Amino acid sequence: MSRLFLPLVLLLFLLGTLVAIDDSRPRAELVIAGENEVFTLDPQRMSYLADMRLAYALYEGLLRWNTDDFSLEPAAVEEWSVEKDGRRLRFTLRSDGRWSDGSPVTAGDFAWSWMRLLLPDTAADYSNLFFSIEGAKSFWQWRQAQLQGFTADPWQNQTPRKQADAVRGLLHRFRSLSESVDRPEEIQWNVNDPVALNAERSQLESALASGDHKKIQEAIDQAAVHRALAQSLDAHESRRAEARWMWDQVEPRYQAMVGVHVEDDRTLIVNIDRPVPYFPDLLAFAPSSPVHRPTVEGWVVEPAKAKSLQEHGWQAIEAPSMEDRRNIDLSSTTGRLVQSHRWARPGSLVGNGPYQLDEWRYKRDMQLSKSPTYHDPGLAGFGTIEIRSIPDPNTAVLAFQKGEVDWLTGVAADCRIDMLKQGRLYEERHGIESLHLPGMDLPEPGPGERRNIHAIPVFGTDFFSFNCRPQLADGRSNPFAEASVRRGFALATDKESIVTNVTRLGEPVASTLVPPDAIQGYESPEGLGFDPEQARATLAEAGWRDRDGDGRLEDEEGLPFPDVELLYTTGSPRFARMAVELRDQWQRHLGVPVVLQGQDTKFFKDDLRKGNFMVARGRWYGDYGDPTTFLELCRSTDGNNDRGFSVPEVDAALEAAALEPDAEKRLRDLAQLEATLFQQEMPLLPVCQLVDVTMYDPGDITGVTHHPRLTHYLWKLRPVTEVQP
Amino acid sequence: MKRLLLRRLLQLPFILLAVYTLTFMLAWLIPGSPLEKSEARQPPAEVVAAMESQYRLDDPWHFYWDYLGDATGVNWLLGQRDGPIMNLGPSLRHENWNVNEILAAQLPVSMTLGLLAMLLACLIGIITGTLAAAKPGSWLDLLSLLIALIGISLPAFVTGTALLLVGGLWLDWFPVSGWGSPQHMILPAVALSLPFAAYISRLIRAGMLEQMASDHVRTLRALGLPERTILLRHCLRNAFLPVLSYLGPATAAAMTGSFVVERVFAVPGVGNHFIEAVLGKDITLIMGVVLVYSALLVIFNLVVDLLYGWLDPRIRLA
Repeated sequence: MSRLFLPLVLLLFLLGTLVAIDDSRPRAELVIAGENEVFTLDPQRMSYLADMRLAYALYEGLLRWNTDDFSLEPAAVEEWSVEKDGRRLRFTLRSDGRWSDGSPVTAGDFAWSWMRLLLPDTAADYSNLFFSIEGAKSFWQWRQAQLQGFTADPWQNQTPRKQADAVRGLLHRFRSLSESVDRPEEIQWNVNDPVALNAERSQLESALASGDHKKIQEAIDQAAVHRALAQSLDAHESRRAEARWMWDQVEPRYQAMVGVHVEDDRTLIVNIDRPVPYFPDLLAFAPSSPVHRPTVEGWVVEPAKAKSLQEHGWQAIEAPSMEDRRNIDLSSTTGRLVQSHRWARPGSLVGNGPYQLDEWRYKRDMQLSKSPTYHDPGLAGFGTIEIRSIPDPNTAVLAFQKGEVDWLTGVAADCRIDMLKQGRLYEERHGIESLHLPGMDLPEPGPGERRNIHAIPVFGTDFFSFNCRPQLADGRSNPFAEASVRRGFALATDKESIVTNVTRLGEPVASTLVPPDAIQGYESPEGLGFDPEQARATLAEAGWRDRDGDGRLEDEEGLPFPDVELLYTTGSPRFARMAVELRDQWQRHLGVPVVLQGQDTKFFKDDLRKGNFMVARGRWYGDYGDPTTFLELCRSTDGNNDRGFSVPEVDAALEAAALEPDAEKRLRDLAQLEATLFQQEMPLLPVCQLVDVTMYDPGDITGVTHHPRLTHYLWKLRPVTEVQP
Repeated sequence: MKRLLLRRLLQLPFILLAVYTLTFMLAWLIPGSPLEKSEARQPPAEVVAAMESQYRLDDPWHFYWDYLGDATGVNWLLGQRDGPIMNLGPSLRHENWNVNEILAAQLPVSMTLGLLAMLLACLIGIITGTLAAAKPGSWLDLLSLLIALIGISLPAFVTGTALLLVGGLWLDWFPVSGWGSPQHMILPAVALSLPFAAYISRLIRAGMLEQMASDHVRTLRALGLPERTILLRHCLRNAFLPVLSYLGPATAAAMTGSFVVERVFAVPGVGNHFIEAVLGKDITLIMGVVLVYSALLVIFNLVVDLLYGWLDPRIRLA
């Protein structure tokens, strides 16, 4: 046995070391746990709510919302004004705005951060929201064309369409190279026979113009000079130099082309193409937050210049060479700017928000503390905040009940329906207003009641999409191409029953897409309700009635209504249960057989894109405070129009609303459009507004907003004891 | 002994290469794209294509060789890349992190938990197994059988949740989530150790019974040695050998984390990647954890073989 002793001692020693190297921290003043892991701290790359919540703590945009009614307040600006009928915005920055490294926040910081936002290289999800800035869209397209030309290879085997794109890209690349006067020597642009090159070019161009694939193919095969030139440009050194040469054009181009102008260090002017009433709203949205250029790019600065950088900001010194920007590089294969994310880490992240990042451990926790350089030290309520990662929803609830967590966002535990019932009992007894009373005035929950769970209706809607294309993906004719059929199915849907018997989170039933009372000044219209009588009548008008008395609907030729295929995702039981309920209702009220098709999310998305469904589940969250954030889904050309819904009048109405200068009339027009959509066209069947289930005790914490827009400012939260007189 | 060591160490790279190739093929075949975000907006198709080429996702061969060169340190030796010598690449799903960092942060957590669990498992397993074998058929034997049955048949999300409710909530002795202090480690270690303990207990019992029926034990009895000495000194030592061969792979498995235990107790270990990275098609992360797991497995098996020879002269290898 003694021989086993030695390994045992070694093991214990190893164990002791492992325990010792792990450092645990004291509990923060506020501990938050959520279901989602933080994806990125780079604001321009963000698209998840959990990320944005942190962006609002670490960075400060030009404006921010008053989270009670979502009106705008100045944040990083002292004052701002709208000029030229809403087509120019002028911002005067605060004089005491500081980055967490002590340097001043300047207008140039915003201009540069928005350049990141508008570059295809960043692959920002929200670039196109900001395309209403003058020249922004052309700037994006210009860089995209540049990058596409850099990788274009028409001699590769590919589909005709891609080949035509590649020819276009190559011509674009050669044209800009030949026109350039500052081309570096490393680019091997050796044209021996300019006449032959020009002849080939015009041939390629005419082939492209004809649009005939055969001609294009022929022209490519004959373009020997182009091919030789492209091959010589393929040398590694040459590509590197070309990528660099392309990148050097970006910043001057942005300054010349895009309507973001730095008048002086504290004045920023933004020109927009046309008056967009919700544009200021976007300036409070996380992706428009400023980032600190020397940090993001990883500038290596000589000590002599460091002082001036610290005092006057990065514009005061000459930017270091590409080699001395350690966090960015240019890819010689794609030509894209490659950004290292090292900068967004504790110790290196520099922000201008009320909090700073002290610790971020992957899938473990994140620690924030008040930033000492923030201009308003009294703004943030809690001195330290921990965001803890608890992947299992049931464990998260246990941790909350034990007091290890003070605020649990996005509760998904199995027990939440029971807990919500207890919460409702409390609200019934004391009134929902009592939850907003500060602290100790709050009545204690009686037996079977609880006051620490809240279901907040949010800025999103669950719905079912109808496939509106004339034919299904497999070529069958599609009954749902008829608006009246879609109306009939909508009228036969008892949403109240879905909400009370199936989803059971107390969601408000929705008859339209835009959540009501979420947007100031927008009056939501009424959509279709539940009326099985009228549902059958509507279908009968469309030619579908039970002609032979077998309980099934037939058309004029006696062909039965095809089995309705109902597509849903299997990831969460919620959608399966909703689909089952919907099937039962439609079968009961319409006599139409419904087939359920459960699908994994990945295949589901693919099916949606290809239009391979009849009815499919859907969900949408709004981004900004305007009905178009939802209604644009119904534009025929929208990237998220999975339904293939295409009605010229709807497109025209959306276009007209975009051009309407009178803000009030515009909202009225949009409400009119929404009424048409959900009383007549019914491209999708709204079921309910989504709710966010969250747990916190209003007797401990105040400042959590219950507004549907669901933007939580961590700095707004306060311990109740502090609010008490 | 030296030959064995040498042979195994020479085999290691080939085993890892085979694992790498197989895992890569399977990971590549997972549907979808790691750059796709669920329930969020997609950047335009051209941008997605450019990003795919950035991460070499458009060309499996390129990815395969490039990643192999990065992971083995060949690219570093050739001077094609700076940074860490063996680079397991950026995580495709969590762009702020690379796989080296993820493993550096999370592997120690899983290893601590795994080692603690294995120690507990040995302790519980040996005690219950020995007691059961000492008096076969007695209530002690039945009790140990019951414990073993529970340990083997109840899944960790049941025992884990039960432990959380009892130890965390009702008794209020332990925290229910997180990691860092010894109190945080006890409940997950117990939950993780149970199936291993059950297995070890049965192995010990069977081995002990076999030993007690053997000739040399009869001789020892005839010599008049006290029963306790016979059991602990002579039987247990021999009965431990099958446990030892089980301990190699079991320790490797325990130390690379358990998805369920880590999830239930919110332990920040590597176990969740075996599931989540696969679901998200995070190819680099899948490759990273699988490579580390297989290397550990091979090494622990080797250690066990060496210990074997050291403990039992009969099978000491040339």
